[in-house]
Amino acid sequence: MRLLYPLGLLGLIAVPILIIIYIIKNKYVEQVVSSTYLWTLSEKFLKRRNPIRMITGIISLILQILAVIFISFAISHPVFTLPHAAEDFCFIIDGSGSMNITLQDGATRFDEAKERVRKLIADSATGSAYTLIVAGDSTDTLYQSIEDKERALSLLDEAKPSFGASGFVNAVSRAQEMFGFNPALSVYVVTDKSYEQTENVNVVNVSDGAKNYAVSDVEYSFSGGKLIVGGNVISYNGDAELDLNLYIDGAEECESTQKVEVKNLELTPFSFESDSVDFASLKVAVAQTDSLMNDNESVLYNVRYDRSFTTLVVSETPFFLQAVFKALGNARVDVAKPDKYENLTGKDGYGLYVFDGFSPAELPRNGAVWFVNPKSSVENSGFSMQSEISLSEPGKLAFSTSSSTRVKNLLAGLSKSDIYLSEYVKCGQYRNFINLISVEGSPVVFAGTNSFGNREVVFAFDFHNSDVPLSPDFPALINNLIGYTFPAVVDNSSYFCGDSADINVLANCESVRVDTPQGKVVYLDTSNPVVSYTLDEAGVYTVTEIIGNTTRTVNLFATVPVSERYVTVSEPSLVISGQASSERRDGRYEDLLAFFIILAVLFIADWMVYCYEQYQLR
Amino acid sequence: MEKLPINEEFLQQLELLQLLIKNSVAGAFGGNHKTRTYGTSCEYADFRDYVPGDDLKKVDWNAYARFEKLYLKLFLDERQMHTRIYIDASRSMTYGNGNKDTQAVKIAAAIAYLSVCDMDKVSIYVIHENAVEEVISSMLGKDSFVANIGKLNGIVFNGDSCISDAVLPLNVGYGDGLSVIISDFLTDNNYEDAVNYLADRKRDVLCVQVLSREELKPKSRGKVHFFDSENTSRYYRKNINRDIINAYKAALEYATGRIRDLCHSREAEYMLVAADENIADLFFERMTEMGVLK
Repeated sequence: MRLLYPLGLLGLIAVPILIIIYIIKNKYVEQVVSSTYLWTLSEKFLKRRNPIRMITGIISLILQILAVIFISFAISHPVFTLPHAAEDFCFIIDGSGSMNITLQDGATRFDEAKERVRKLIADSATGSAYTLIVAGDSTDTLYQSIEDKERALSLLDEAKPSFGASGFVNAVSRAQEMFGFNPALSVYVVTDKSYEQTENVNVVNVSDGAKNYAVSDVEYSFSGGKLIVGGNVISYNGDAELDLNLYIDGAEECESTQKVEVKNLELTPFSFESDSVDFASLKVAVAQTDSLMNDNESVLYNVRYDRSFTTLVVSETPFFLQAVFKALGNARVDVAKPDKYENLTGKDGYGLYVFDGFSPAELPRNGAVWFVNPKSSVENSGFSMQSEISLSEPGKLAFSTSSSTRVKNLLAGLSKSDIYLSEYVKCGQYRNFINLISVEGSPVVFAGTNSFGNREVVFAFDFHNSDVPLSPDFPALINNLIGYTFPAVVDNSSYFCGDSADINVLANCESVRVDTPQGKVVYLDTSNPVVSYTLDEAGVYTVTEIIGNTTRTVNLFATVPVSERYVTVSEPSLVISGQASSERRDGRYEDLLAFFIILAVLFIADWMVYCYEQYQLR
Repeated sequence: MEKLPINEEFLQQLELLQLLIKNSVAGAFGGNHKTRTYGTSCEYADFRDYVPGDDLKKVDWNAYARFEKLYLKLFLDERQMHTRIYIDASRSMTYGNGNKDTQAVKIAAAIAYLSVCDMDKVSIYVIHENAVEEVISSMLGKDSFVANIGKLNGIVFNGDSCISDAVLPLNVGYGDGLSVIISDFLTDNNYEDAVNYLADRKRDVLCVQVLSREELKPKSRGKVHFFDSENTSRYYRKNINRDIINAYKAALEYATGRIRDLCHSREAEYMLVAADENIADLFFERMTEMGVLK
């Protein structure tokens, strides 16, 4: 035993003081009475004395001395050593998506896991050391080898589950590392998975007979002027007959519904057909409730739904460009003659500037730019014009064979048939441009970002001196380039938790804000054209990009990974290798509650003695 | 201290009561108490044959007319009683908050008044040490009561008292009324002989034991050192606890039982009176119930 505040024992000085006071105070009270006859006579009737009564007079003093002693010890805060009573604990809580499954009492498996750990910590001897690792889509060590039980319990409340797959491998390897240093470490894994074989690990299983249904692989397509929505539905705990509902654009009433017979653990396809071709979002949801609602619905957003732009074509002969933009049907096109351009009012309000056979004196700052057959170099354009080349024989266009994703995307859908041209402009380009098509090694179609951050496409030839406009690849190429020039904020709206979404940072974007399903707000870096964001929560994310006065908002949907949808998972083994030791550390007992209880008993006893002496005998 | 706070109203109520005398009264003078002998009262008692020498005034001529024989008509005799009241004037009767002395004086005065109302003579004595001092001698009539009763205020309660030693040498009369002893009887001294002596002298005896509340139900607790008021060499030093209190109660029962049993054995009356007990309740309820008064 040791004392945290030994000076508290100075309170024992009160004991002799108390005795002195008792001696001084407790004299015989002298009193003259009319007659002592009866008192003297009472001696003859005095029965054998109860030995307890002999100390009755000093019971109060004894109680008060004991109270002073206990108060002094309580102030000095004794800490008792409990030999080999404490342990080193390492708790690994499974924080994967399946731990969000609700138990029968309404709490989630993760809540139950925390409760189990809380009880283990609370029941452990003071002096034990605690380590808590949460294995979610990332492995987080909330605390390591702390001995403060209250702090361990407090920090336990901060543990939160993820919606991704379990990072058990990392967690177990950390535990293994700790076990290597301390073979007496007690490793507890609290999870909803069961293990056929364990070694040096105590597995606490928090799963119960939950049921779960999930919608997955939802896609949409258009056919015959109809919207076709398809996907799979699955039951993870027995056969079921499920009601599937299709919702369009966030409507409360479903657009369509159907019953699906689902076999246990078998993907069952479904398909909806709708007239809502021009939709912003669609949702397929299982009507039945289950223990994990996050995977009961799948939401898709039409990422091109909000893409619209206005185009200014500056050309003497804008026929081909007008035709192709009209064919693609998603742009308002204004046309201006080159000699009118410099004096054109309102020329700054376009999303895309196409300069055909004309080079402006100053590059537009507020929109994307296409150059067709440039006549001179333009400052900040990112390329320089060197010379006009006339071929003796028409040259065949060579499509880039680069394995770059951007190149592949820009040339996607092209048949790459033989296309020729007779004249082109030899240009020098900067590093941030990618070459798409070339002639005789000279790039004639290339794309990149100019000095103002706007996307730029250069056709270094006159359409009239080539058969490009007549080629079937022309509309596809223009479409791809429009997609490149006006990138969607995201190219895909459906993810699993733990996936990373690539968010396109549009030109002149001032901020990219992500609102997570749980209300968290994150601002992303806008210095790169593409920024990745990891979706670690299940539900709908809102991505907002602010470009000047324009706000572009898209939604993403993340759902629980397929691997986390199983209500019961059995794994072969969970092993912490090594020879365990039973040697324990010394524990402590420093709770003052017992002292206060004893003090209360002493005070009550003293009070009862006082009342007994003062009142009961009267 | 004024020991006689008896008011006129109380005395008027007392006049409604009368002392009951059990023994035959053998007083020398006529009074209000009937005797077993024939006398000159108005209350008819018996007839007897006329013998020569009888007073012809007592012949019942109506009987002679019927029976032609002389008969004498006899009447009960009524005699005067002499009430003697002995007050224990030891220091134990006055010390402390008990007011036993006041209660004793009040009882004596009330009994004296009852007696004078019955045309009896009243003598009041105090017992000091081994002697008896006469405070009021042969008081007769209300005027004498009023004139003499104030002397009771002059009684000094001091010293010890031995009732038997004081009473036995006295001429206490014979069969001529009531003797009242008022004391706390908290003494080892002999008082039995006094009671026996008075009873042997054919006197009605009433023993009134006056005790204070503290003596009846002591409240002292803890370490005490009691000194006796009559003799400070006597003391009691104890840590008073429940055992001692129980023993005290037994001692009190013994002490009161001692005098009570003695009185019962001699057909005397005994009364235990608390010092603070209401005097009116004492006379109009308890003494009436006991048959001391009617």
